[in-house]
Amino acid sequence: MEFRDYYKILGVERSATADQIKTAYRRLARKYHPDVSKEPNAEARFKEMQEAYEVLRDPEKRAAYDQLGSEWKSGQPFRPPPDWGSGFEFSGRPAGAGGAGARRRHSGSAGAEDFSDFFSSLFGGGSPFAGAGGRAGGRDHHARVEITLEEAYRGTTRMLELKHPELKPDGSMELRSHTVRVAIPAGVTEGQLIRLAGQGERGSGGGSAGDLYLEAHILPDRLYTLENRDVTLTFPVAPWEAALGASLTVPTLGGPVEMRIPAGAQSGQKLRLRGRGLPGQPAGDEYVQLKVVLPPADSPEAKAIYEEMRSKLNFDPRASEAR
Amino acid sequence: MVRVTQVLEAHILGEGDWIAVREICELCRLDPEAVLELAALGVVSSREQAPGELQVAATHLPRLRVAGRLMQDLGVNVSGAALALELLEAQRELETRLRRLEHLAHY
Repeated sequence: MEFRDYYKILGVERSATADQIKTAYRRLARKYHPDVSKEPNAEARFKEMQEAYEVLRDPEKRAAYDQLGSEWKSGQPFRPPPDWGSGFEFSGRPAGAGGAGARRRHSGSAGAEDFSDFFSSLFGGGSPFAGAGGRAGGRDHHARVEITLEEAYRGTTRMLELKHPELKPDGSMELRSHTVRVAIPAGVTEGQLIRLAGQGERGSGGGSAGDLYLEAHILPDRLYTLENRDVTLTFPVAPWEAALGASLTVPTLGGPVEMRIPAGAQSGQKLRLRGRGLPGQPAGDEYVQLKVVLPPADSPEAKAIYEEMRSKLNFDPRASEAR
Repeated sequence: MVRVTQVLEAHILGEGDWIAVREICELCRLDPEAVLELAALGVVSSREQAPGELQVAATHLPRLRVAGRLMQDLGVNVSGAALALELLEAQRELETRLRRLEHLAHY
């Protein structure tokens, strides 16, 4: 395992006050929060910062961390000293960086389970059953799944490795995992939640298990842009197809369909294919945005046709802009 | 070789689903007061199923989850989270429009 320099991660001196640490965390959190940031690796950076803040905001943890000394550098191989932790009592599960009071941990903000091995080796992960005397329901678990637009249209499956703590005969806890295949129904949209009842944390003392929630994210598509359940496709057409009208084969998520382009269509015009977007109640639509592409005037024949159009059509594309 | 022990059917929380405020608090790391305030600000659609039992449209859960994360992680209050949500959604809409224009300009 590698050492983590929490002061360096937050960009503060080892002598920084609690207020300076809080300010540094807040400043960096605004920059790297995964919901607002466009920075590369924002999520990983944010989790790292949360881990650093979890330690440096807590006087007990900070004092213990400081005991390791200032000689360590980030990335150096590390193993906790044999007498590590004597004289300190850590309060188990983190409360969630930045929040006031103890709250349950959910995805988006890191909890002990998301922190590094370095953190766990020093401060533990917190007992999953801490404070849960008697019968208690399990917590909900959250995960993020990325799917393609095609998968959102047709439905898909994902293999997920679910971890759950189990009590060993000697009284200690160990993390067990099992793999499940999750069938994601067709029609999921960006950011939507998918619920898997009873697949969260197991309850204790006969309490019911929590649920597992998957937050769906749809990857950008090469052909289509997505807005809610509607998709938009840019579709190139020849000038004569736009001018005279044509029946053309257009791609849709469900496969190609014939579409009638009305005579006199213009570049940029949008035509709607009702119900050809993502399935749902109601299903989304597909918008076909026409893009008139001019043939190149790269041969005597092509040039002659353009010359003929110039002389015969009396066309001024800027006529409507004339003042 | 991965051993699959179970195949699970998932349920999309979408149109027609309504979620009780107490469940939302669990899901979105929000206090009940914050959920009620966000509903009052028009950030989410709500209905009163029974006297004192407010429910929120499941289609607005993603918004509430982002609001919860912003409040928890950045220390913003309910009004700040509502404003951030509005700006983030406007930004996303502009990005979608930009991508569409880039597709159009590609040919």
